[in-house]
Amino acid sequence: MTRSERRPLAVLGPVLALALSLAACGGGPAPSAPTADSADWDAVLAEADGQSVRWYLYGGDDVLNTVIDEEVAPRLAELGVTLEPVRIDDTADAVNKVLGEQQAGRTSGGSVDAIWINGENFATGVQADLWRCGWSQDLPNARYVDLEAPEVQRDFGTPVEGCESAWQQASSALVYDSADLRPDDVASVSGLLDWARANPGRFTYPAPPDFTGSMAVRTILYDTVDGPGSLVSDAGEASDQYAAVTRLLWARLNAAAPTLWRGGETYPQSQEDVEKLYADGEISAYFTYGPGAVAQKVEDGSYPGSTREAVPSSGNISNTSFVAIPANAEHQAGALVLADVLQDPEVQLALYEAAGIYPAIDLARTSPEIQAAFAAAPLSPSVLSIEELTRNAQPELASVFLSGIEQDWTREVLQQQ
Amino acid sequence: MRLRLLLVVVVVALLAPLLVWAVVGSWRYPDLVPARFTDRGLRLTLGTDVLAALGTSVLIGTCVAVLAWAIGLPAGRALGLHRFRGRRLVAFLLLAPVVVPGLAVTLGLQVFFVRYGLADTVGGVVLVQLMPTVPYAAVLLGAAFTDLDTDDERQARTLGAGPVRTLVAVTLPPLRPALVSTLLLTFLISWSEYVLTLLLGGGTVTTLPLLLFAAIGSSDRTAAAALGVLVVLPPVVLVVLAARLLGGRDATWLGLARG
Amino acid sequence: MTGRRLPEPVRVARLLSPALVVVGVFFVGGVSQALLQSLGRQPLLGETNWLLGAYRTVLGDPAFGASVWLSLRITLISTGLATVLGVAVALVVRRVARGPITALLQSALAVPHLVGALCIGLLLSPSGLLSRLGHAVGLVPDAAVFPALTDDAFGWGVIAEYTWKETPFIAMVALAAMSRQVGDLEDVARVLGAGRLQRLRRITLPLLARPVAAASVLVLAFAAASYEVPRLLGRPFPAALPVLALQRFRDTDLTVRPEAMAVATCLSVISLLTVAAYLTLVSRLVRRTR
Repeated sequence: MTRSERRPLAVLGPVLALALSLAACGGGPAPSAPTADSADWDAVLAEADGQSVRWYLYGGDDVLNTVIDEEVAPRLAELGVTLEPVRIDDTADAVNKVLGEQQAGRTSGGSVDAIWINGENFATGVQADLWRCGWSQDLPNARYVDLEAPEVQRDFGTPVEGCESAWQQASSALVYDSADLRPDDVASVSGLLDWARANPGRFTYPAPPDFTGSMAVRTILYDTVDGPGSLVSDAGEASDQYAAVTRLLWARLNAAAPTLWRGGETYPQSQEDVEKLYADGEISAYFTYGPGAVAQKVEDGSYPGSTREAVPSSGNISNTSFVAIPANAEHQAGALVLADVLQDPEVQLALYEAAGIYPAIDLARTSPEIQAAFAAAPLSPSVLSIEELTRNAQPELASVFLSGIEQDWTREVLQQQ
Repeated sequence: MRLRLLLVVVVVALLAPLLVWAVVGSWRYPDLVPARFTDRGLRLTLGTDVLAALGTSVLIGTCVAVLAWAIGLPAGRALGLHRFRGRRLVAFLLLAPVVVPGLAVTLGLQVFFVRYGLADTVGGVVLVQLMPTVPYAAVLLGAAFTDLDTDDERQARTLGAGPVRTLVAVTLPPLRPALVSTLLLTFLISWSEYVLTLLLGGGTVTTLPLLLFAAIGSSDRTAAAALGVLVVLPPVVLVVLAARLLGGRDATWLGLARG
Repeated sequence: MTGRRLPEPVRVARLLSPALVVVGVFFVGGVSQALLQSLGRQPLLGETNWLLGAYRTVLGDPAFGASVWLSLRITLISTGLATVLGVAVALVVRRVARGPITALLQSALAVPHLVGALCIGLLLSPSGLLSRLGHAVGLVPDAAVFPALTDDAFGWGVIAEYTWKETPFIAMVALAAMSRQVGDLEDVARVLGAGRLQRLRRITLPLLARPVAAASVLVLAFAAASYEVPRLLGRPFPAALPVLALQRFRDTDLTVRPEAMAVATCLSVISLLTVAAYLTLVSRLVRRTR
């Protein structure tokens, strides 16, 4: 008798059908209704009500994650918008996804509604025409933002043109253990590198293209050639200068390499690894883009109480973090509401108080209460105030030179070992 | 025996830091004993994100196990009970996914998953995880079918048993150990899978290994260790239990579960 | 439906078709797509520029050569260590009470590699448990002096993880293979006056060779292909081949995609060649010891 031979197949039929239906669910692009014009905010709010916004964001900062869950999501919920944070470890993955969808011809119903972004990733999207543009000035809370400020108008040299809205300010600083380094040692990059020579193995930076590692390299570049010079824009003559200044930079970095952690033979893979090294006492100094978050680490005991911050004489490097909305996003109205909520002065205050994140809004435009609350936020002795940090703020390089430096660093420094 | 003691020490010493770090509040180098303990890590494993990921992991693991089992059963029967032309080719094809890196294969597939709307869906992740699981299911069940006596089936049918009854009452019982270990093995492969889920789930299908990988990369060792405990406990309990039920031989196959 | 007996090939084909569809669509499809895309086919752009450019770029990059050596080193050393240690463990364990030890081996077997990598990091990193112990007994004055076992150039951390995780697997396979039959044969040999070593060489090891070789091929294939272990315990340069492939794949410059596919294709070819070479070697050795 052979019918039993068919049994497994008979079982399989429904199972395969289930697989296919599983596969199909959530698959096909949902037909997207025409999206509200950002200038008509009531229409935006009406359309956003009931939407669920997939916000792709770097998820490595637990404190920030908590603020988003406890401050941002409830405010959106009040407006009928559900926040679905998609926590990724590399923003490039989100850009990649939108690029893939665009090339697959998915012009609507895209899976990415909003991205926390800046720099090269934004520039990549501009080149590929990925973003919805001309909306950021229409956000009601944009009145708190100084839209004329250079750091809001340009993102690593790329004109913003309303394609993204600012929501945090990153400022670089040097974090160090004052039990090991004296003020002289941190007053300048030369001082730091001299100290490293005297104390080998106790300073390092993450391997670019890590976001912070790239900044550490640029800080040394600014010190080497006295500021960013013409490399802040991608105009013609700057390319000639690029080769000249980077030659000096690689020479200096390679000279310093033997005095770094592991003799410069390798570099940590991420800023988190660097912070672990500092917490473990393996290194005594590192550069950061998040100087405000250091207070928390000192408080919870993972950093020594003698931790301090400094800005070397070459200045601090500042940039703005933005939210961009892909042009094919399914829930654009909801994403606009998210961008607006992020600029709310109270959210900005919550970000500052909880995670030490510096505001992207111009505090002078906010209510006296908000200003007072910002001023009253307790400042740990370990961290610098905003004024101290940004006294000598330097702009970022144009993103084309940024990616150039990141790629060339791999060849000229990492692979030289 | 001294050697046996050494063995125990090696296995335990490797897992010990995980258990300790899961409850560490502060442990600066070079202290041998943590300065402070905390239940933060344990509370974290009960957070909504982690529980949601746990649910996704269980859902995907169960779907993969059931599907791979259902697909592997007939293939195992063909391999175990029939001699046919091209049997070696089929066996080779079924083994190839075990030898060729799944990462390389999935990189090639990814654009098509995007195009057909399978990327970023639980269904898509389940489908791609069939690739590393179906071969094991087919081979494992094939080995079990080799020992099966088909006369019993024939007899049952002659005595008037329906096909379903024959399958349930006659065919499957002697295969029970292999069936259980196949389900378990495929579940465990799915449970530990990281890179295929990352590539085709695109960060939106969040399973426990994805959370764990992110936590290991973060500067929070306590969170990473606590999640690690959560990821490691179910397989260890399942395997030890299964070994008790099945006897050592079939449990050995569970060593194939890796990710 | 009528109970008419179908010809056997048809029945076999029906039984096999679901599994072959899965393997055919996902595996054969994926491999051939990786190959085509490495040669310049860009399905998203809908255009094809047949070129070997991606291979030229990849093979010309010193990082690729370094990755190949690293991957081969990691794979071969950890497979070798796990095989030797696994068989040794099995030989030791079978003479003692098996119960608790077997449970221990099984537990180790079930640990996902991701957790294994985390454990190795917590244990072997310069600020890990081993270094702290070294400090406590005065061997390690500070973390910088502790030998680099993770993020190291040689790949020791990765090797340690694979070896730790795969030794129990080999041991369990070997234990399962040491059935009563093996014991009986050994007893006979002993009665006939064969010494301990002689019994091991002439009887036990040859009987173990086949199952252990099969199991170690699986270890080899896994060690060559795993992404997360070398990503977490290795360094950015040189990176193991799977890490390199994914680095290229995640580049936002989509024109780099063919390079990622070229690395992936090379990885597949290297894996297959290593497995084939290994199997040939093992079958020769088995034949010689017989």
